[in-house]
Amino acid sequence: MMKDVSIGRFVPGNSVIHRLDPRVKVFLFVLYMVTIFLANRPIAVMATFAVVLVLALLSKIPPMEILRSVRPIVFIMIFIFLINIFTLRSGEVLWSWWVLKITSGGLERAVLLTFRLLLLILATSILLTLTTTPLKLSDALESLGSPLKVIHVPVNEMAMTISIALRFIPTLVEETDKIMKAQSSRGAEYDTGNIFQRAKGYVAVLVPLFVSAFKRAEELAVAMDARCYQGGVGKTKLHPLRMKGSDFMWMGILSVLAFVPLAVDFLTKIK
Amino acid sequence: MDPNERNIADYEQAVKAEEILFAYATNSGSDVLAVDHASFSVQKGEYIAILGRNGSGKSTLAKMIDLLEFPDGGKLQIFELPADLDENFWKIRSHCGMVFQNPDNQIVGTTVEEDVAFGPENLSVPLPELAQRVEKALGYVGLSEKADKQPASLSGGQKQKLAIAGVLAMEPKLLILDESTSMLDPKARDEFLRLVQRMRQDKGISVIHITHDMHEAYLADRVLVMDKGKIRLQGTPPEVFSQVDTIRELGLELPKWADLLCEVAKFYKISPEQSAFLSEKSAEEKIRELLRGERPEDASRTVRDVKEPDDKVILKVTDLAYSYSKKEEPTVSGINFDVRKGEILAIIGHSGCGKTTVISHLNGILRPLEGKVEIWDDDENHFISTDKNTDIKKIRKHVGLLFQYPEYQLFEETVEKDIKFGPKKLGYDDEKCERLMREALPLVGVSEQVLKRSPFELSGGQKRRVAFAGVLAMGPDVLILDEPAAGLDPAGQKEIFGYIEKLRDQGRSIVLVSHDMDEAARIADRILVLKKGRQVFFGTPRELFAGSNDYVSMRLDRPCLMKTMLDLKKDFPYADEGLFDVSEAAESLVFGKDGEVSAP
Repeated sequence: MMKDVSIGRFVPGNSVIHRLDPRVKVFLFVLYMVTIFLANRPIAVMATFAVVLVLALLSKIPPMEILRSVRPIVFIMIFIFLINIFTLRSGEVLWSWWVLKITSGGLERAVLLTFRLLLLILATSILLTLTTTPLKLSDALESLGSPLKVIHVPVNEMAMTISIALRFIPTLVEETDKIMKAQSSRGAEYDTGNIFQRAKGYVAVLVPLFVSAFKRAEELAVAMDARCYQGGVGKTKLHPLRMKGSDFMWMGILSVLAFVPLAVDFLTKIK
Repeated sequence: MDPNERNIADYEQAVKAEEILFAYATNSGSDVLAVDHASFSVQKGEYIAILGRNGSGKSTLAKMIDLLEFPDGGKLQIFELPADLDENFWKIRSHCGMVFQNPDNQIVGTTVEEDVAFGPENLSVPLPELAQRVEKALGYVGLSEKADKQPASLSGGQKQKLAIAGVLAMEPKLLILDESTSMLDPKARDEFLRLVQRMRQDKGISVIHITHDMHEAYLADRVLVMDKGKIRLQGTPPEVFSQVDTIRELGLELPKWADLLCEVAKFYKISPEQSAFLSEKSAEEKIRELLRGERPEDASRTVRDVKEPDDKVILKVTDLAYSYSKKEEPTVSGINFDVRKGEILAIIGHSGCGKTTVISHLNGILRPLEGKVEIWDDDENHFISTDKNTDIKKIRKHVGLLFQYPEYQLFEETVEKDIKFGPKKLGYDDEKCERLMREALPLVGVSEQVLKRSPFELSGGQKRRVAFAGVLAMGPDVLILDEPAAGLDPAGQKEIFGYIEKLRDQGRSIVLVSHDMDEAARIADRILVLKKGRQVFFGTPRELFAGSNDYVSMRLDRPCLMKTMLDLKKDFPYADEGLFDVSEAAESLVFGKDGEVSAP
């Protein structure tokens, strides 16, 4: 049934990337973003692609899974490609019809921009969404955000909120299913009629769902109180994030790797 | 906070409450006492059961002990520490563990082990002790191999064990169970209670157990009975339950064996003495003594109308099989049964045996993968099947389905609108909707005064009856009820079963899913037993529990009443263990030797 709902698109595995401390992954993610933005000449983009390919191989995630994470943005990629190819005009004219013109400069720019967007998505998926559970990610953000506590940002509480939300997603999905069945037994329809009638059908699901979610929240708060929850103060952790030697090693290797495209860019420019 | 600061000195009394009060403000502005001058104590290692109607103040009392609420008056000491002193707050709370009713609403962790760790983490227990505590607690409750699983993948019983493990990892001295067993099936309930007993023996923990189950109350050293915030009875189980009239007046029941004893004693015009309420054995002994004695001349049997069975089949299930995913084994298969007009069919079996899947087919929520589900249509005088999309609306008109905890399906602004939702969807005009609603109200005891109120203002029992009325207003001939009495107090349960019998007497057919073996056997004309998605029995309750021990292989519990009757049968061979109604069973004992008993 719907009991094993996963959030995000985590693909279980035991690769180097999977085992990496999530904080390192967040750091590397930022680093690769910078690289992808700075590397804008064709040769440098090719080098970035090679580097992302290395990351993909290290993650041992089936290529199909990786490509699937690109699917939601295909439309945006096409859009960016078309905008760029028709609006940028430099170099010789390759093709023209009515007001539309494709120039060599525009084509190069469009291909590169689209390709960089693709690389951005691939790097994000490989480093974060596909190899890191949402819980670990929230742990990492809690740990990296802890300096913010100085200015009274409730970092621990925010992480707790995220983790409770994650915990309750399967419960609420199951409950939605139950309420929908109960309301269809009473003749409610969600799949017929025009958009307004359907929306009205969903009111019969959403109202009970909200009412019950509030009740759950109230009961959970009492249960947490009973288990001596007092915010983040003094709270220990069963699985604290701890940097191991291998984490430092891979952080070094992968950081160097992130500079390769920039070096290529720089060196080819000098010549 | 340093966990060492939490150490408490040795104590004799875990709880001592003197005249404690708890008031809350009502909408009308006046204060109501949820707990009204309650005085009681709990010794170290003692097991206390708290009984009482819903809303009698049991939960509030329990919350005060865990300092989740504070008394408005009186003196409360926990572990011999005054509860109103700030310095004692964490000392007390960190040594109390509480397990609540709904397993889903007390799990905090995204994985099983994270959840167990939550309590000790809050107590600043450092590693590696933290990990050891988690491991030990999971081992103790038998969930070790689930450590890294999502809580959503656990069954209800496992979730409550997880809650126990979470409490255990905090090394409590006092365990409070707030209706923790009420959402579990009998097997999970037994396991849970055995676990609690084991904890008591191993660790000397005191237990306060709020429950609606009288058999559970008998496991306790002492029982408190609450009513409207007051502690009305207090004492050992026999002391409390021998006050039969007070128990019934307070909306509670007796265990079946004690009930039988009282019914038998009625014919002999005596009230049994306290010693007869000591245990099932002593009650049986007292019954033996009475039966061997002289029966008063004027004792007479009740004349019961014999119900003429109606052979007309109105719902037919043939070779039903269904699977939620094509790759897996079918969730249910080989299901064959029919429902006759005016009968109650009970479907029983352990959690996960496919009961919900089967009943979801009866009004076309699920469509069979194989086989057929057909419903008799009076208007056209033929059977219509659920595989035809065009007939679904008609089927939902004939077959009303009420899932477990139906109060969660209420959504409209007023009770009236909510009850009319179903009939409106069937396309009836305002006049007909109004008429159907007015007809449905008295069937389940919903008063017309609540019609203009929001359903969310009502009490739990009222909400359930409104949801019930919403299905009845669609005018179904067949009613499918999934655990209609679950989670209600004994009086509420009795009321619901009363409505069900009345609906049957009006000629409606009822398919009832129930965990309560005594109630199912008493009320049902026929029983369908499911085990792991297969049908293992279909016939009358008498056939199911008759001599051939089939029910043992089906891993069903016998009705409690039947156990007592079988014990008595050894001395009184005419005792009819196939009777599942307490007064009928009592009559078979009292008048059986006259040879007047004829098996129905």
